[in-house]
Amino acid sequence: MLRLAFPLVSHLPPRKPPPICSRPQPARRYAPSSTAAAAYTSSSSSTPPSPSLSPLPPASAYVHLPFCRKRCHYCDFPIVALGSAAASPRGKGEGEGEGADDPRIVDYVRLLLREVAATRPVSDDGVPLETVFFGGGTPSLVPPRLVAAVLDALRGRFGLSACPEVSIEMDPGTFDAARLAELVGAGVNRVSLGVQAFQEGLLRACGRAHGVEEVHEALGILASCEGLQNWSLDLISSLPNQTQEMWEESLRCAVDARPTHVSVYDLQIEKGTKFGQMYTPGVFPLPSDTESASFYKIASKRLSEAGYNHYEISSYCKPGYECKHNLTYWQNRPFYAFGLGSASYINGVRYSRPRRMKEYAEWVQHLEDGTWIHECRSPDMKDLAMDVVMLSLRTAWGLDLQSFSKSFGRSLTLSLCNIFKPFVESGLVIAMDSKRRALPHTAFELDLQNEGDFGSRVAFIRLSDPEGFLLSNELISLAFGTISP
Amino acid sequence: MAGAAALRRSARRISRHLAAASSFSRSALQQPERLLSSQASPEHGARGAVSGSELALYPPERVRNFSIIAHVDHGKSTLADRLLELTGTIQKGHGQPQYLDKLQVERERGITVKAQTATMFYRHTTASQDSDAPRYLLNLIDTPGHVDFSYEVSSLPGCLLVVDAAQGVQAQTIANFYLAFESNLSIIPVINKIDQPTADPDNVKEQLKRLFDIDPSEALLTSAKTGKGLEQVLPAVIDRIPSPPGKCDSPVRMLLLDSYYDEYKGVICHVAVVDGALRKGDKIASAATGRAYEVLDVGIMHPELTPTGVLYTGQVGYVISGMRSTKEARIGDTLHQAKSTVEPLPGFKPAKHMVFSGLYPADGSDFEALSHAIEKLTCNDASVSVTKETSNALGMGFRCGFLGLLHMDVFHQRLEQEYGAQVISTIPTVPYIFEYGDGSKIQVENPAALASNPGKRVAACWEPTVIATIIIPSEYVGPVIMLCSERRGEQLEYTFIDAQRALLKYRLPLKEIIVDFYNELKGITSGYATFDYEDSEYQQSDLVKLDILLNGQPVDAMATIVHNQKAQRVGKELVEKLKKFIERQMFEITIQAAIGSKIIARETLSAMRKNVLAKCYGGDITRKKKLLEKQKEGKKRMKRVGSVDIPQEAFHELLKVSNSK
Repeated sequence: MLRLAFPLVSHLPPRKPPPICSRPQPARRYAPSSTAAAAYTSSSSSTPPSPSLSPLPPASAYVHLPFCRKRCHYCDFPIVALGSAAASPRGKGEGEGEGADDPRIVDYVRLLLREVAATRPVSDDGVPLETVFFGGGTPSLVPPRLVAAVLDALRGRFGLSACPEVSIEMDPGTFDAARLAELVGAGVNRVSLGVQAFQEGLLRACGRAHGVEEVHEALGILASCEGLQNWSLDLISSLPNQTQEMWEESLRCAVDARPTHVSVYDLQIEKGTKFGQMYTPGVFPLPSDTESASFYKIASKRLSEAGYNHYEISSYCKPGYECKHNLTYWQNRPFYAFGLGSASYINGVRYSRPRRMKEYAEWVQHLEDGTWIHECRSPDMKDLAMDVVMLSLRTAWGLDLQSFSKSFGRSLTLSLCNIFKPFVESGLVIAMDSKRRALPHTAFELDLQNEGDFGSRVAFIRLSDPEGFLLSNELISLAFGTISP
Repeated sequence: MAGAAALRRSARRISRHLAAASSFSRSALQQPERLLSSQASPEHGARGAVSGSELALYPPERVRNFSIIAHVDHGKSTLADRLLELTGTIQKGHGQPQYLDKLQVERERGITVKAQTATMFYRHTTASQDSDAPRYLLNLIDTPGHVDFSYEVSSLPGCLLVVDAAQGVQAQTIANFYLAFESNLSIIPVINKIDQPTADPDNVKEQLKRLFDIDPSEALLTSAKTGKGLEQVLPAVIDRIPSPPGKCDSPVRMLLLDSYYDEYKGVICHVAVVDGALRKGDKIASAATGRAYEVLDVGIMHPELTPTGVLYTGQVGYVISGMRSTKEARIGDTLHQAKSTVEPLPGFKPAKHMVFSGLYPADGSDFEALSHAIEKLTCNDASVSVTKETSNALGMGFRCGFLGLLHMDVFHQRLEQEYGAQVISTIPTVPYIFEYGDGSKIQVENPAALASNPGKRVAACWEPTVIATIIIPSEYVGPVIMLCSERRGEQLEYTFIDAQRALLKYRLPLKEIIVDFYNELKGITSGYATFDYEDSEYQQSDLVKLDILLNGQPVDAMATIVHNQKAQRVGKELVEKLKKFIERQMFEITIQAAIGSKIIARETLSAMRKNVLAKCYGGDITRKKKLLEKQKEGKKRMKRVGSVDIPQEAFHELLKVSNSK
């Protein structure tokens, strides 16, 4: 059967309880969480593909908190730069005065709460939220009580599961132990810390609002926070003037900090950013393609050696600590989104909110008036197939051929495999059996020749780490050409 | 015989555009003023209408037919404009300059691609001052000048040979002159642009005397720009060019000068009536095809289609007769009274295709669009041969035969400009002849069609040659001789046409000049060289087929035939060029040039290092997806051989690889 949420879940890593349930479980308003779990794992059903299947309700919510002290030179996200006045929010959480909150933040959170209130839950029988992600921007600039207010609103509107994953992005220099404790007290149980680099010069060159000292301070605060066991350290590779020694150093420092998760983003030069004006990809002072490919490989090697699984192109984690919220994206499951410029995926429709504050405020008004309604549409099969391929090939689990075949047909699955054939042979693509053991390319080819019986051995294909991941755009766009010639 | 061929070419040059006829329409009848100007004949009535009875006032002795021939940019178009203005045929300052150059390609390049005619009425006042001065009907016939637009208009009795007063005689001038001379045309030399500060008309007169034995006193000195000396031109035409020689009482017989396809009117033929008279309603037949037609409309170009209902002996105009395609209207054909047998007029020459190239849609899915564009364009240029072909790299396309390099260029340009077609063309080639040990012979118009390993001995190969005329300032003689010998040229003549300039004649393989010769010649002579050529005979040559292989797979559209001694160099250059234009892919690519099974050049392109989007977009996958879709579209535009994607630019760039360097 065709599901809006493409059922990849059956071959996810075994679902474990989150390592820590940070706070007493909030009362669930709706059905027990087993319903949601059942919905997720329904892929084992053998119903034939049918595009008319009713969509799964979202169990994830993204909340955009766009405030930053200043814009980093590589950033093209919708953000609101608060200026240096916001440079030292530490201590505010200690109750120095609620009145000191920046009115821009307060006004925005009000708008957010209105959006939450105006958003109808997709299902009436209530699937509670399993994950919430506060992204930015620099969400740690928002006073914890306002974060808590948003979380409360979400709980009130959609319900929260027994052990939800609640993540927040934080930047060094924007919080102290008390502020973190306050966030954890509000229900946050996962932090994603934007370190980016461990070199003062590099941080300055990217226009980051913090230095190495603040990084170490922030790492100390995280390590000593008792209520927080699950956190991610984010790094950027291929920065201008970054050397291999610097990169090795950053990786070493990251491993030493013992996070449960590491994200490694390869710097993308975007049009309209300061870097976009200053640099050309692959040209000094940016590393050459060869160098930045080597940075990627080094990260994969060092982090694997330190016990991290490379489970997605830019994500590494200790076993069991995958970011569940991001898995929602990669498994093509629906999710709510709230806030400036954020993108939701509800009822088969992806919708990006306005990126300008004024337009976003107007849009919220329309949502309240009922003059803007989230539409509901059965998705285009080709689009859906492309999403599934694009998202699942980003992960180490790869593409489940059997499910894909069920949803999109055998012949498309065969064409996909055929186009990947030379790359299975060259090692960029790995074919695996149902027990996720890698198959030699000859076995893959044999299986392919055996059209009628295809799939007797091959059950998954994935991109290899690091070579296949490094060429993922090429490989995925090749697949796109097959799906939508 | 070189001269004769040259003449042919110049004759081609004679006229400029008929092509434009299809765009005439409205404006034709909207210039009443032009008939009121001094030289216009008021009795032709208002609003441009000209009646048949008026044409009857112009028996052959009151008719003059002439063309203007010139090296490019020597002022032919401007002179034509001035003559049309002088006779009130067009109004000064109205309409576009280069009135007869109606196609964009003609205006841009300053060449004539389609023949065009214009009828002017002129009172010969210098002969008689009073109002009884005799009136003449003058037909300016603009025909393509270049060898490519192979054409013979022996029925034209005379021409104006225009030479730039500063630049003097140039390569085309020479070709033009000999063509006209061998056809026994009356030649009126016109030294134009005498207003320029660097004008040296005396030197030009010297050149004309030395090269062509033209009496300096015959030359007219003009400036089409300022109008100086123009008043002598038409009287000279009347006095020095004989009237058309036809027989008025014979059944009608006429020469087909060119034809155009008009969406509303169908095929419009431009004709010169040689004998008899042609009337609306007459039944006429083609000597070439034997098909018969009824004359639906007949008239003169004054300067646009002006119906008269009749054309008399010696007159020039247009005929619409219900032809469906210009393929029925062959240039140089004789049209005559149906049911009578007539001697065809000399002039018809079947098109000889000397340059071939494959044309493919840039986007493989646009085959139908390209097919449609080519079909439409060949409606107006029946001299192109078109056959379908298929390439492993480029998909479905067409092998087109052209009369020459310029013809091919112009065809490409028109496809793009007039029909918006995006085209990939393969390296142009010439018709080679290969003879095998078993006595079999084949003509090769597509190198890909020649077996790389035929399994039998090649006994001999032949290639077409040309006789090239090059005129250059004498300090450039050294480099030009070097260039010609690199191109396997054989020197036939080396003379000085004045104190500063030399004339070189070479026999060159046609293949050697179809790619990049003229550009290089211009480059090494700071732009001073002028160049023209005429077809000559085939010569025996040591030729081999050069294959290009990507990861061992031959790319048929890149195969080429080269001289054995050059194979190594050309192969190396092609391979290096390809390495530059093929992008890195997910695997290593070997690029090879081979003769048969022998590899003569090789390059390796290493695999791509990285192409990954490792950035988090907060769940907003639409952007990421758009990027990947764009990448997919990019791949789609590529041409694929085996597993290797070849960007279109690679094909374009290969065209620029010269034969010699």
